[in-house]
Amino acid sequence: MASRALAQCVRSVARSSARLSHGNVLTRTACASLVSNQRSLCVVSCHQRTRCTELVRVSGPSLQLCRQYGDLPPLTLESIQDRVMYVLKLYDKISPEKLQTTSHFMKDLGLDSLDQVEIIMAMEDEFGFEIPDAEAEKLMTPAEIVQYIGDKKDVYE
Amino acid sequence: MAASRLPPAALNLKQFLQRQKVLGVYRDLLRSIRKIPQESDRTYLRDWAREEFKRNKSETNQDVIRMMITQANNHLEDLRKSLALAGC
Repeated sequence: MASRALAQCVRSVARSSARLSHGNVLTRTACASLVSNQRSLCVVSCHQRTRCTELVRVSGPSLQLCRQYGDLPPLTLESIQDRVMYVLKLYDKISPEKLQTTSHFMKDLGLDSLDQVEIIMAMEDEFGFEIPDAEAEKLMTPAEIVQYIGDKKDVYE
Repeated sequence: MAASRLPPAALNLKQFLQRQKVLGVYRDLLRSIRKIPQESDRTYLRDWAREEFKRNKSETNQDVIRMMITQANNHLEDLRKSLALAGC
């Protein structure tokens, strides 16, 4: 099965490259040998060929270059909130049932300032940037954390 | 006057500053522990730091707290020096 799919791919690539490079002998011979070996795929290959020629005709001789630079997908407030809640659920001192985005760490969840420091450190690890002390001690609810990270990372909604 | 309007658990300025120092030392300690290469060592030290700080959480004598902050700073310096020697 895999060899059949591979043969089809090679055939279509070889055909398009043959068109583009104006007669590369090697690809043509490779194409020919593959065709002779896989006679049972004639019907399928016909469809493939027509589809392939249409594609080649439309795009013309120029190649579509597509450069993809390595980067993380863009953040959204939704995704930030999901990640923040996920990290909080993993924290052993918080019971997941009581956790909401508006639950205050000290008043609702009964944590103390040392736990709050640990939580902010966990957020730093998760999102990969440092939060300075002065701003870290003000973040007392998950909603505030999400808003802070959104501000820092320029997330527009 | 001003004192009666504040809640009973409010800290005076010196206590407030000391509290900030304690939290700062705890944060620096956790940041240095993050740099340790081995995961098991990291968990052990994190639990140790947590234990130490939680155990003395209810201390109210300012001089004792000051002593403990100095101790914590010494531990932090030892950790930093060891990390520097180990090259990470």
